Amino acid sequence: MFGKIIAVLKKDAINALRYRNGIAFTVVAEGAQFTTFYYLARAVGPQFRPEGMPYFLFLLIGTGFYTFLLAGIHSFFRTIQESQQTGTLEALLTTTTSAPVLVGLNAMSAFAAGFVHLLIYVGVGLYFFAPIQHVAAPGCILIFVLSVFITFAIGLYAAGLQISICKGAAVLWLLGSGAWLLSGTLFPVSALPRAVRFISFCIPFTHSLYGMRLALIGGNAPELTREIVILAAFTLAMVPTSLWFFSWTVKQARQNGTLSFY
Amino acid sequence: MTSIAFESVSKVFRRSKFMRFASQTETHALKEISMSVAAGQVLGLLGPNGSGKSTMLKLISTVLLPDRGRVLVDDYDTRTQGQAVRRTVGFAIATERSFFPRLTVRENLEFFAALEDIPRREIPHRATDVLLRVNLIDEAHKQTMKLSSGMQQRLGIARALIKSPSILLLDEPSRSLDAAACEEMWTWIRDLSEDGTTVLLASHNFEEVSAVCDRAALLCAGELLDCMNIRSVPGEELRNIYFEMTKGQRKTHLAIEVPA
Repeated sequence: MFGKIIAVLKKDAINALRYRNGIAFTVVAEGAQFTTFYYLARAVGPQFRPEGMPYFLFLLIGTGFYTFLLAGIHSFFRTIQESQQTGTLEALLTTTTSAPVLVGLNAMSAFAAGFVHLLIYVGVGLYFFAPIQHVAAPGCILIFVLSVFITFAIGLYAAGLQISICKGAAVLWLLGSGAWLLSGTLFPVSALPRAVRFISFCIPFTHSLYGMRLALIGGNAPELTREIVILAAFTLAMVPTSLWFFSWTVKQARQNGTLSFY
Repeated sequence: MTSIAFESVSKVFRRSKFMRFASQTETHALKEISMSVAAGQVLGLLGPNGSGKSTMLKLISTVLLPDRGRVLVDDYDTRTQGQAVRRTVGFAIATERSFFPRLTVRENLEFFAALEDIPRREIPHRATDVLLRVNLIDEAHKQTMKLSSGMQQRLGIARALIKSPSILLLDEPSRSLDAAACEEMWTWIRDLSEDGTTVLLASHNFEEVSAVCDRAALLCAGELLDCMNIRSVPGEELRNIYFEMTKGQRKTHLAIEVPA
């Protein structure tokens, strides 16, 4: 397994280095986003403190963590879509590595890149613009790990949908837009109408973002524990079903001869 | 010893016209195929486009699963023991676009080798060996997007060979190759067979099948017409046998490639 992990990381690193322009554009885009948030928070003023923290910090954690999780989900779908488009999917699925492991390894590589990006994004933001003092580190790590598991599960669902109906992109766009609005990325969930808040509660990312913010400012311990328990429940329900769903879609595609369709 | 066995295998491709509940179009790709291939044998699958050659190879490699019947590879059932089957089968798929375009020839090969559970230390040597075999060693550091279609085809064969499979599936391997490369390939296919590797070669080129195969399975419209020994049967004669057999079954548009 170690050899496979190295091989996938190496392949993705080489690919990224040979698309140098992409890296430059990402750096410029991140800088622009940073600046936007900084001036947005200044315009809103220091009196607005959603969930007990400065608005800039709220935005920084919300967008940084949300982007990381969504990019993780996209990486699963993109693995399948790219291998369909480059014609490598059939070749990959005739190797001795099982389909869920293949997709998982490729997504893990993207996760690693996303994690580095998250660290730089949030780290730079916190260091220069919004220093924090009372981080609940264990809570922070637990929220992060559980959120990654949930992302893994949603990613496998998306990859399965791409294989079975070739419409993973549309489903992800819908999910991404809905979650962006409802999970408390840009504004607190408490600002939403009461009826909509229930939908928001059912989205795991709502708990990931709220929990991460609580952990980073060393907030209310019982509330943080509640968020961790909810995320653990999502993980237990979603990970096994997503593994089953993805394996089932691959088997169906082998049966129907649609593996390379896109 | 039997290496591959088809037991009353049928494969139907269904396409919904609108959604699941609406009417479907059906293509019967294979109809009740039964045949076996002995270990170390070179079998040619001969037939026009759409006769079921590639479908048979995909069934053996587990890219497809049968609708009815069983496909056994070294006694492993492709439906229930896919992982074990994939360990023994190397498949050079027909399409040339099956590599990561920005990676070099060697990087692509080493990546696929890692997924085949080949020990890390062995991978560079094996990659060199197969690149030498398919005559691509001088292109090892070229990105695959810069290769000609013939070179990509040879790289596909190299990828199939890198795990030293006991069964090698070649789907129209000489389609984009020049005459000299074809001759070379036919020679190493015979060498592999002598070393005990079972080779299945799908082609619509009678000359090629006659040159390298011990037996030929003649297919037309998903049916197995015959499976015959063809050692010392020249390509022209094989072509005549095929045309005689398929008289009445062939439609006028069937595109059989007749070698010059």
